[in-house]
Amino acid sequence: MSTSEQYFPNEPVAPTVVTSEFPGPKSQEGIKSLGQVFDSRPVYFIADYEKSVGNYIVDADGNSFLDVYAQIASIPLGYNNPALIEAAKSDKMIRAIVDRPALGNYPGKDLEEILNGLLAVAPKGQDKVFPALSGADANELAFKATFFWYQAQKRGGHKVPFSDEENTSVMKGQAPGSPELAILSFERAFHGRLFASGSTTCSKPVHKLDMPSFNWPKAEFPSYKYPLDKHEEENKKEDQRCLEIVENLFKTHSCPIAGVLVEPIQSEGGDNHASNEFFQGLRDITLKHGALLIMDEVQTGIGATGLFWGHEHFEISPPADLVTFSKKFQTAGYYFHDPEIIPNVAYRQFNTWCGDPARMILAGAIASEVVKHDLPAKAQKVGGYLFKKLEDLQAKYPQYLQNLRGKDRATFIAWCFDNSAARDKFLKDMKTVGVNIGGCAEKSVRLRPTMVFEQKHADILVAAIEKVLSGY
Amino acid sequence: MLRLSRLLSKRWLSSSKPAGSTAAHYFPHEPKGPHLATDSIPGPKSQALNDELGQVFDNRATYFVSDYTNSVGNYISDADGNQLLDMYCQISSIPLGYSNPELLKAARSDEMANALINRPALACFPSTDYKQILQDGILAAAPPGHNKVWTALSGSDANETAFKAAFMYQAAIKRGSRDFSAEEMASAMENKAPGCSDGVILSFDKGFHGRLFGSLSTTRSKAIHKLDIPAFPWPKAPFPALKYPLSENVQANQAEEQRCLDAFESIIESYPPHTVAAIIVEPVQAEGGDNHASAAFFQGIRDITLKHKVLMIVDEVQTGVGASGKFWAHEHWNLTTPPDMVTFSKKFQAAGFYFHDKNLQPNQPYRQFNTWCGDPSKAIIAKTIYQEVVKHGLVEKTAATGAYLYPQLQAVLDKHPDKVLNLRGENFGTFIAWDFVDAGARNKLLAEMRARGVNVGGCGDVSARLRPTLVFENSHADVFLGALEDSLKAL
Ligand SMILES: Cc1ncc(COP(=O)(O)O)c(C=O)c1O
Ligand SMILES: Cc1ncc(COP(=O)(O)O)c(C=O)c1O
Repeated sequence: MSTSEQYFPNEPVAPTVVTSEFPGPKSQEGIKSLGQVFDSRPVYFIADYEKSVGNYIVDADGNSFLDVYAQIASIPLGYNNPALIEAAKSDKMIRAIVDRPALGNYPGKDLEEILNGLLAVAPKGQDKVFPALSGADANELAFKATFFWYQAQKRGGHKVPFSDEENTSVMKGQAPGSPELAILSFERAFHGRLFASGSTTCSKPVHKLDMPSFNWPKAEFPSYKYPLDKHEEENKKEDQRCLEIVENLFKTHSCPIAGVLVEPIQSEGGDNHASNEFFQGLRDITLKHGALLIMDEVQTGIGATGLFWGHEHFEISPPADLVTFSKKFQTAGYYFHDPEIIPNVAYRQFNTWCGDPARMILAGAIASEVVKHDLPAKAQKVGGYLFKKLEDLQAKYPQYLQNLRGKDRATFIAWCFDNSAARDKFLKDMKTVGVNIGGCAEKSVRLRPTMVFEQKHADILVAAIEKVLSGY
Repeated sequence: MLRLSRLLSKRWLSSSKPAGSTAAHYFPHEPKGPHLATDSIPGPKSQALNDELGQVFDNRATYFVSDYTNSVGNYISDADGNQLLDMYCQISSIPLGYSNPELLKAARSDEMANALINRPALACFPSTDYKQILQDGILAAAPPGHNKVWTALSGSDANETAFKAAFMYQAAIKRGSRDFSAEEMASAMENKAPGCSDGVILSFDKGFHGRLFGSLSTTRSKAIHKLDIPAFPWPKAPFPALKYPLSENVQANQAEEQRCLDAFESIIESYPPHTVAAIIVEPVQAEGGDNHASAAFFQGIRDITLKHKVLMIVDEVQTGVGASGKFWAHEHWNLTTPPDMVTFSKKFQAAGFYFHDKNLQPNQPYRQFNTWCGDPSKAIIAKTIYQEVVKHGLVEKTAATGAYLYPQLQAVLDKHPDKVLNLRGENFGTFIAWDFVDAGARNKLLAEMRARGVNVGGCGDVSARLRPTLVFENSHADVFLGALEDSLKAL
C-alpha cells in the first residue's frame, strides 16, 4: 500500500467538478460576506476543510480539486492526515494550546522534547534552533542574529561589552548603537513582507511599493538556459558573472554587508535554480568577507526537492550559518550551529512568545512521519516520473511548457508560458478539469503538491494538463 | 448589525452580571495559597531541566521551568512542585487562568483539530467557517467604532502590518487616482524612493511596540532591545512623566501633558504632509514602566492627528482584553473619534489590528498579504476567550477587584515611603504598578515575592507591574498583599 493509501483510504480517485464557474456560487457568496470584515480579494475559493482529504481540497460548492498548490506550498502530509489528527488531539497539544507559555521566561518541562522534534531533522551541520511564527518572522529573527554576531566581531569578540556611546546613540536610532548594516539578497528573491524581510524581497513591485525600505543591496541571481545539459558552458559563465557581482557589492556597497540571504530555489520569483558551484561560491565569498550565509528554506524545506532540505543538494562546505524554515513545517524559525550566534546577553533575541509550542508539536509529528515513510526519497521518485511525462508533453506543446525546470528536484517543478495572460488562463482552465494549481513570477507555473503526492496523482495531473493544452 | 450585537451583549453583560467567584466556578481545585516545595526558586529540577534546555535554546531569560499540567487557575507550578500565585502570567498573556476548562473544551474540539492540521493560506483559501469564527469572537470584541480586522501572529507582527496599512493609505492619498508610475515600480525594486516610502511612524519615548525591524524602530524602551539592529530614522515624541499622587499634582501634570502635546505637534509639523503616516501609542506604556497619561492627553493626540491627517494606531497588545477594567483600555478615554487602528495580541492569543476605514485595505489585493495571514486555531481560542469574558462579566469583575486591591496596596506601600513610590493604575482594573527607589530594590523585592510564592514582573527601570489573569479575585489579592507586606519588611 502506498503512503497515501495508508493515510487516506477514502481519498477520492479523481477530481469532481460540479460548478461551471470558479469560484462557484457558494464560494462567491462566502467571499462577499467575508469581504465585509477581512480582505477577501485574493480568495480563490472558500474551502471546506472538513471534507478535504489527502491531496484533494473540497470547496464550498462541492468541487473536489487535486491540490498541487497546497496552501502556497504549506501542506506537508495532505488534508486531514490521521497522524496529524492524533498529534492535534494529544494531551501535549491540548496543553500547548490552552496554556501558551512565554517560552523565553517560563519554558514548560516538555520544551526540550518538543525542540528535539525539530532538531531531529536539522540540516546537516546545524544543531540549535530559535522558533518563530512565519517565514518573514523567521528571516527577520535570523537577520537580527546576524547583526548581533557581526557587531560582536567588530567590537572585538562575543564578550566585549557595549560602549557608552553605543548605549546612548541607539536610543536615538543612530550609529554606532543602531549601525548601518545590510543583508544582501538577490533579484527575484522572496523572503517575506515585513519591513526588513520586505527590503530583501525583490520579486515584484506590488510587494514593495509604498513601504519604507532599508537601503540593502541586490545581486543578480543566475538566469540559466534550458535544457541545462545543452548549455553548460554558458550557464557556468552566468554563475561566474553573478558571483562577481556579489563580490563587488561587498567592496562597493555604502555600508557593511553582514549576511547573504538566498533561497535554494527562488520560488515566488519564478522557480529559478542555480548550481552547486554557485552556492559554494556564495559560501566562499561570505567566509572571505566575514559575513554569514543564510539559507531561506521556507518554501523548499521538508522534502519537496527530494532531500529534507533543498540546500543539502549543494553539499556546500562549511555548512550555512543559518537556515530558516516555515510553511510545510507548520512552525517557523531558524537553525544554526555556532554558539556565538546566540547573542552575548539574554533578552536580545526575544519576544513574548518566542514561537508556539502547539505548532512545534505539529512540526515534530510532521518530521517523524516524513522520516518514517521516507517521503523525500518517494517524492524524488514521483518527481522523476512526473518530470519525464512533462518532458513528453513539452515535446508536444513546446509553446506552453517552456523552460521546464526542477529535474532531480522531486516535485519542485515549474515551467513558463509566453506571458502572464496565457499563464493565468491556464491556471484558471485547470480548475475546469479539477486541479488547483499555482503560478509564480510573471509567467511561470509551479507545482507544490504535498509529500504524499504519488504516481497516480501525477497521472491525473498530467492528463488534466494535456486536456487543457489540447484545447489551445 | 455588528454594533447592535455588541450593544446587546454589553447590555446583557451588565444586567446579568453573574455574582460569585468565577475562579471557583472554573477551578474547584485551585490552591488556596502558594505552595513552596523547595528552599529557593528555581529549584534543583528546574535548574537541571534548564541546563539541558540551554544546549539547544537560549535559556538565559528563564525564571523557572514550568509544569503546565499542574498549573491551575491563578497558580503556576514549576518543575519542582512549587505553586506560585502568578501575577505576571506569561508577560501578561494568560487571560482565563491555567487549565481553564472552557479553553480545554475548545482545544479538544474537532473544530480545533481541523484548524490545526489543515492550516489554510487564509487570504487565498479561507474556510467556510472563518467569517463566523471572526464574527463570534475577534469582531464581536471589536473596540467601539471598529468593524474590520486583519489578523497577524504576534504583537510585533500586528503592529507592523498596521504600519504597512498606514503607509499604503497615505501613499494612495498622495497618488490620487493615478496608477503606480514606471519610476515608482522601478525604484521600489531598488529599495529607493519614490517607489519605497520615505514616510515615518512616530512613536513615544519609552514606548514598546515589538522587536522586528519596523516595530523595533518605534520601540524606545531600553537600549538592550535595540543595540546592533539597523533602525529606520523615525521620530519620537516625549511621553508625559506624571507626578504622583495625581490628585496633588493636577496642575503640574496638565502642564507636562501640554508640553508633550506641543512637542508632538511640532514634530508632525516638521514633516511634509502625509509623511508621518501614523503615530503609535500604548494606552499605558507597559514595558517602558507603566507610564500613564490622562484621557485629555489622548484626546489631544487624537485632535492633532486628525488635524494633520496622520493616522492614530493604539497598541493594545498589553492593555487589551479586560485587564484595565474595560475590554479595551482606550475606551477609558471616550475619544470623540475612534482611533484609526487598534492592535492586539497577548491575552487574546490571536493577534492583528482592527480598523473601520475601508481605505486601510490597500487599493489592490496581495499588498497586505503573507502565506498564513493569521491562524484560525488562535481565532477559535480568541472566540472562546471573548465569550467567557462576556458570560462571566470578567471585565467588570476585574474593575471591581482592582478597586478592592488599589487602596489596600496604597496602605501597604504607604508604610514604606523610603522604598516605594508612585503607585498608579487607580480605577484601571488590575493594571497596577509602582516604583522603587532603584532597580536593586525592585529586583530584590521581586525575588522576595517569588520566595513567598508570588510571581510578579518588573517593567521599566525601577517598577513592579501587576499583570494577573481576569479571574484574579479579592481572595487572590489578599494572598498577594500579605506576601507584599512581608517582602517589603524584608527589603
Ligand atoms: C522563500 C520564502 N521565504 C519567506 C517567505 C515568507 O513567508 P511568510 O509568508 O510565512 O511570511 C516565503 C513565502 O512565500 C517564501 O517563499
Ligand atoms: C504594547 C506592546 N506592543 C507590542 C508588543 C510586542 O509583542 P510580541 O512580543 O508578541 O511581538 C508588546 C510585548 O510586550 C507590548 O507590550
